[in-house]
Amino acid sequence: MTQAPVLKVENLQTRFKSVQRGKYVHAVDDVSIELYPGEIVGLVGESGCGKSTLGRTIVGLEKATSGRVLLDGVDLTTLSGAALRDSRRALQYVFQDPYSSLNDRQTVGEALDEALVIAGTRSPEERDRRTKELLDQVGLASVVRERHTRELSGGQRQRVAIARSLAVNPRVLICDEPVSALDLSIRAQVMNLFLRLQKDLGVACLFIAHDLALVRQAASRVYVMYLGKLVEHGPSQELYDRPSHPYSQMLLASAPEVDPRIEKNRRGPLMIGEVPSPTNPPSGCRFRTRCPLAVDDCAKALPPAHVLSPGHTAACTFAADLHRGKRSALLQQEVSAA
Amino acid sequence: MNMLNPILARLNKMPRAALITIGLFVALGTFAPWLAPQDPSTQNLLDAGLGPSAAHWLGTDHLGRDTFSRLIIAANTSLVSVGSVLGVAMTIGILLGTIAGYHRGWVDDLLMRVVDVGLSVPSLIISLAVIGIVGPGYWTMVLALALAWWPMSGRISRAVAVSIMSKPHIEALRVLGASPWRIYFGHLLPGTIGSVMVYATADAGTAALAVATLSFLGLGIQPPTPEWGQMLVDALPYLESDPRQVLLPGFALTMAVIGFNTLGESIALNRIPKPLTRRMLAMRRAEVASWSKEKSDA
Repeated sequence: MTQAPVLKVENLQTRFKSVQRGKYVHAVDDVSIELYPGEIVGLVGESGCGKSTLGRTIVGLEKATSGRVLLDGVDLTTLSGAALRDSRRALQYVFQDPYSSLNDRQTVGEALDEALVIAGTRSPEERDRRTKELLDQVGLASVVRERHTRELSGGQRQRVAIARSLAVNPRVLICDEPVSALDLSIRAQVMNLFLRLQKDLGVACLFIAHDLALVRQAASRVYVMYLGKLVEHGPSQELYDRPSHPYSQMLLASAPEVDPRIEKNRRGPLMIGEVPSPTNPPSGCRFRTRCPLAVDDCAKALPPAHVLSPGHTAACTFAADLHRGKRSALLQQEVSAA
Repeated sequence: MNMLNPILARLNKMPRAALITIGLFVALGTFAPWLAPQDPSTQNLLDAGLGPSAAHWLGTDHLGRDTFSRLIIAANTSLVSVGSVLGVAMTIGILLGTIAGYHRGWVDDLLMRVVDVGLSVPSLIISLAVIGIVGPGYWTMVLALALAWWPMSGRISRAVAVSIMSKPHIEALRVLGASPWRIYFGHLLPGTIGSVMVYATADAGTAALAVATLSFLGLGIQPPTPEWGQMLVDALPYLESDPRQVLLPGFALTMAVIGFNTLGESIALNRIPKPLTRRMLAMRRAEVASWSKEKSDA
């Protein structure tokens, strides 16, 4: 990967005012990620770990407290008004819920046409041609154009939403669980469509999901997030085979298997306890309160990201041991349970 | 419970009855000048205070004017004045409400405190005060009532606007880079108007009553324009000798108010009488099934 990253997020931090006076919810804390042209990168983690907030902050739906978002080297956090709207357009977002992300009052044609108008396509003939092209790209018949979005099924609506975000020729697509609101049968269809489009158009994509199998299938690299921080990052093949952060190990092991014979032998409930409150995150390593490997030092300082192999890093004191298989959060858990 | 069932069943038909009543009211109001059989202002003292006859279907009033024609024209007066009161009030309310809902923050706080003040004073008292200062007249009445009425629609539209603004489809527009004008005029305002209009139906009955009240007090619509409240006060001296003159406009007003209230209530409870819905749904479903050309690889 000698190319320059198309999207670079540097030390991004998003805080919300807490209901408790003077306190803040640390939703995203000091996160840096990079996206190279044409690749799909997964972002996984439990519910409430801040992965959606990270995506929303990148596209500007939430205000970043500090940090920078660089799109093609342009710092979006320094722009405002029309300049920001124009630059940020290359960064698009696909929402989880296709039922609320489209305006019920619009027809499919109107929704796509509006996106094209916003993108600055002046001539009506050109917009008409592009609308047809977009519908064809997402595999919808052109009769759908005249229909109100409320008349479509979930899968059809998500196709329209994808078409709308493609209307502005994005360079980066941030997909926030784009298929998890859909029926299982539709999910694979939309996912395949999405992968094909991503390949054809060469859009870089940050794929936020909690479905680990889906991320493994789609993404070339994966970021693992826990309580507002990145804990591990690596090529998906390696990360899935040799997870080197206790949290990643437990997260991967907690995913149910499809094969009932394997599922039967899978170790029991792995994640112990609740995610701590992001208003009062634990000192040092944030995972230490649930980590079977935690030692006293973990509370003192945030462990630095250890580079385990090219492109594979994990923020754990024992990362090197875990990577070599010398130690395992899962084994440790069994030992302490016994 | 068994004894209650017939009553409950009848209550379920209320929305439809209300719809018919209001439909009749609106139709009469709209086409009043063509429907009224006689000139409502022609006096004929020789025929004064007559009961129903072939010439005057519902009799005449104390000046010999045809009561039936006057009732019909009064429906028109009522419809127009209620329409203008709600129109003016909702324009102000929706405008301020959507601005508050769009901007939030201090703009929202300021506008909503103004609304709170408006709501804390009874609407009739505000109107009486305004008319007292400016003097009676048709437009004074409309503006006075609108002034009393806008805070309610302002609060409702603010609530609707806030919920629309938090929907992902507005967020999607922001991500697409839509200008604030496009979001406000293209999506927020039309969405709010649609929802707030529904609530207006519930208010129409109260507004009709307020117009009649002010006219009854001589502060609203001035004679000789026929108006139900004013017909009531005209007929008041003859309450004992000829109650028909009081009962007829009273009955018309009551029907209109009950009709609007029932309709508004059933709409609020989402029991909209839609005789056509079922067939339309079936047709729609049959079509939806044929749209997807799901490709085998997609």
